[in-house]
Amino acid sequence: MFFHIVLERNMQLHPRHFGRDLRDKLVSKLMKDVEGTCSGRHGFIVAITGIENVGKGLIRDGTGFVTFPVKYQCVVFRPFKGEIVEAVVTMVNKMGFFAEAGPVQIFVSNHLIPDDMEFQSGDVPNYTTSDGSVKIQKESEVRLKIIGTRVDATEIFCIGTIKDDFLGVISDPGANP
Amino acid sequence: SFTFETILVEWKRGSKDWTSFVDVLMSVVADSPPHSSSSDDFATLLEAELDAISDASADPEEVAEGEDGGGGGDGDEDDCDLNFKSVKRRKVELSDDIVETPSSSSQGEPAKTSGLSLEKIMCPHPGVYAGMCMRCGQKMDDESGVAFGYIHKNLRLANDEIARVRDKDLKKLLGQRKLYLVLDLDHTLLNSARLLDITVEEGYLHGQGDALPDSLKSSLYRLNWMQMMTKLRPFVHTFLKEASKMFEMYIYTMGERPYALEMAKLLDPGDIYFNSKVIAQGDCTKRHQKGLDVVLGQESAVLILDDTEAVWGKHKENLILMERYHFFSASCKQFGFKCKSLSELRSDESETEGALASVLKSLQRIHSLFFDPERKDGLLDRDVRQVLKTVRTDVLKGCRLVFSRVIPTNSQAQHHHLWKIAEQLGATCSNELDPSVTHVVSMDAGTDKSRWAVKEKKFLVNPRWIEASNYLWQKQPEENFPVNQAKNK
Repeated sequence: MFFHIVLERNMQLHPRHFGRDLRDKLVSKLMKDVEGTCSGRHGFIVAITGIENVGKGLIRDGTGFVTFPVKYQCVVFRPFKGEIVEAVVTMVNKMGFFAEAGPVQIFVSNHLIPDDMEFQSGDVPNYTTSDGSVKIQKESEVRLKIIGTRVDATEIFCIGTIKDDFLGVISDPGANP
Repeated sequence: SFTFETILVEWKRGSKDWTSFVDVLMSVVADSPPHSSSSDDFATLLEAELDAISDASADPEEVAEGEDGGGGGDGDEDDCDLNFKSVKRRKVELSDDIVETPSSSSQGEPAKTSGLSLEKIMCPHPGVYAGMCMRCGQKMDDESGVAFGYIHKNLRLANDEIARVRDKDLKKLLGQRKLYLVLDLDHTLLNSARLLDITVEEGYLHGQGDALPDSLKSSLYRLNWMQMMTKLRPFVHTFLKEASKMFEMYIYTMGERPYALEMAKLLDPGDIYFNSKVIAQGDCTKRHQKGLDVVLGQESAVLILDDTEAVWGKHKENLILMERYHFFSASCKQFGFKCKSLSELRSDESETEGALASVLKSLQRIHSLFFDPERKDGLLDRDVRQVLKTVRTDVLKGCRLVFSRVIPTNSQAQHHHLWKIAEQLGATCSNELDPSVTHVVSMDAGTDKSRWAVKEKKFLVNPRWIEASNYLWQKQPEENFPVNQAKNK
């Protein structure tokens, strides 16, 4: 799920950047440092939407660096247990498949794939129903439910299921949406 | 303008369904500034609210009300009722930080009951992905089972699950008339050398495009980012194509993962053969030892192709030993050979009569013996190791060998490796000469035993005859392995 929140960060700036464009340089450094990163608490920081406040800079003892506390608004993405997401399948093997929903990788094990879908190895490994009507392969879009999330230092991992009603393949790869 | 607190309070009061909550949320985000109190507060607030809601939903009465309310209140979103029902069946939970919240993980599969009570089915926890059970999502920190990092780097499987998968997979493969084949990389399917080890005589290998001889254009690869060159063994593409009709194949190398994946790309550019089946050094459970414990195949149906026997300590019965492929000068030197390498001689192993071609024939033979329709026993009772043994003992069947100047006198003859190889190949060995002896294996034509062989018109061969027969799975012509007079007699 996406959230629009305010975060705060202490930015260190090298004296060479002091001057007319100090604030711009601060903002661009913030964007470079923070966009695309992940924290356990907030999830993935997708994009910074605005700067709320830049505090007074504090010169650090012993070096010429200055620390500015910056309050900024950003959109974050954080998956929750129980959430339904749509994801794109990236890898299929006999243990299940991996799908990506934005920056999050979700593993759907074969235990949580409907029993009537069997793994077929070959050129394009896939899970298919016995009558061949439904197929999950790389690049398929699936709707899945997240049943567990775990946070590492910089990544979020999820376990998902498609064994419930209204979950499963949304579209085949290459099909028009 | 709305704040999150007011939305949540409104939502609880009105028992609106999940989808409408999200809609309200999205519109709020678009219209109003982001939540301005500190982010810590917000996350805690959300967690608390969602926990409270899920507690409330466990109450059957409220569930019934909610469903009615949801159905009546949102005429234009009928299908959301069902979503609402399924959400209420499970506790929604946010214990997702690194710090564990005790006792709040939901266990077991969601039951497809009327939703009034949760059936807590004991989950067998078949495997763990990134610290979570891959069936119920519960946090699991134990290190039991086996890591399958080559399938995905955070995947572990419990022993029961491994057995279940092996069993299920075997039935499927046997139904397709296939077995498993584990392939080593270095000196078996290819030969690699570091760029700085390329000798002056091999310098022509640095040529690009037309400067390279035709035979090398499609089998020699330069990997600048790894500072090395790789030469694929002749016949390898045909070998893989034909073998894939009979086997599900794995790569298993003692090299590191990036190297293994790069070689897999060269051998299998379409990712048809080795998808999720490239096992590297880091996947081994024992240092310096390869094991079938990380292969998702039943041991009774696995054949291994490797040039090194020592690493397969526990699985020698599944192993087919390959003759080493030395293309580069560095490879020859590494094994102590002082001769010129194939690259320096501007030559190569024969495509149609080299090691891969001949081992393919052996594999085809083993495969057809395994799936022989004349066999009385069921497919699941058969063991490819038995078939391997049978085929092996055919090679030197009927031969009776005596060794001369081969086995050191102070050692046990029966434990000598050549003695053992000969017996594996179906020959019998003896220390004494008698009329039943067919071959004298000698290093010196001047010994008594050697002279006896010539006199009695028995075969006199050097030890390489046994090794060659072992590699080529065929009794070699004895005249190709003559014994010379030793220089100092």
